[in-house]
Amino acid sequence: MTDKEVDQQLVERVQRGDKHAFDLLVAKYQRKLGRLISRFVRDSAEAEDVTQEAFIKAYRALPGFRGESAFYTWLYRIGINTAKNHLLSNKRRAPTSTPFDVDEAESFEDAGLLREVSTPENELMSKQVVDVVQASLQQLPEDLRSALMLREIEGLSYEEIASVMNCPVGTVRSRIFRAREAVAENLRPLLETSKGNRW
Amino acid sequence: MKQEISALMDGELFEDEVGYFLDRLKQDPAARKNWAAYHLIGDVLRQPEHIHCDLSAKVRERMHDEPTVFAPRGHAAKQKMRAFALSAAASLSAIGVVAWMSLQIGPEAAPQLAMQQNAMRPVNAHIQGKTNDYLRAHQEFSPGTNMSGSAYFIRTVSYGADEIQMRNNPGKQ
Repeated sequence: MTDKEVDQQLVERVQRGDKHAFDLLVAKYQRKLGRLISRFVRDSAEAEDVTQEAFIKAYRALPGFRGESAFYTWLYRIGINTAKNHLLSNKRRAPTSTPFDVDEAESFEDAGLLREVSTPENELMSKQVVDVVQASLQQLPEDLRSALMLREIEGLSYEEIASVMNCPVGTVRSRIFRAREAVAENLRPLLETSKGNRW
Repeated sequence: MKQEISALMDGELFEDEVGYFLDRLKQDPAARKNWAAYHLIGDVLRQPEHIHCDLSAKVRERMHDEPTVFAPRGHAAKQKMRAFALSAAASLSAIGVVAWMSLQIGPEAAPQLAMQQNAMRPVNAHIQGKTNDYLRAHQEFSPGTNMSGSAYFIRTVSYGADEIQMRNNPGKQ
């Protein structure tokens, strides 16, 4: 079952009244949606509020979601509309007048934008998370690190990774899991002790 | 369980496993934390400069005030039903066509053909006797009468009266 089909299953569960399924979708897409919205709303606190608002709007609109497009495409449209409405209500113009492209939104490189408006506290927490992940990755055995990078950065399927690494699919599955778990193990103390459990 | 969560988020579980592990995620808050942590790791690896704090708790808080959504049966479910009904109808029509075709060349077809031949050319009793001997001798090579598909390969042969006489008395030419 593909990633999109898993999303569809989660959506159908939400449509049957399962709020936990929506939690899983929020955990999965919050940073992507946040990145998208920060292109419109430059203040990080405002962008955070707009991202939450977009998720709530998506939740309310889910009964009408028919699965004709991928869930994330639909969610991003809601995110863009919420951001534009937010700017309109504050009588500000959206930073782009051209129609927005979802693919472009996923790959945009505008790192400076968020740093400019982040609070020092948020920036420090972000930096700690990034440092722990990158340090943990460096400590991993080569085969675990490669498997995880091929999956997360290159977006290869397990079968493709098995072909690249010349090993069975089951081994790929195990390597990716062990890599994630090793990194998560180092990350957990930070996630659980952050102020207000904000990670 | 953790390994399955890892495979689930990559879309690498089998369809029948997905429902089971989504149920487990629903019941187990620790499993949901692992789901969130694994996604955070992926996001950090892809775009380390765009990591912000976790919004899940805040969204969850706001969702407490939201009424639980229930989609009326009719969107995804109706589409699935429509697809199922169409495929079922297509299968039934295919079965119907195959059944009709098999009836056309069914066991009745061969006797009808034979009867027609008999009506057109009455067979001499003497020849019939010889033919019967021949058929009896080669019975083991003949296809079963219930193999209607073989009717296509069977060809009826008849001899003219002169030819029969010549065959019976080869010396009288």
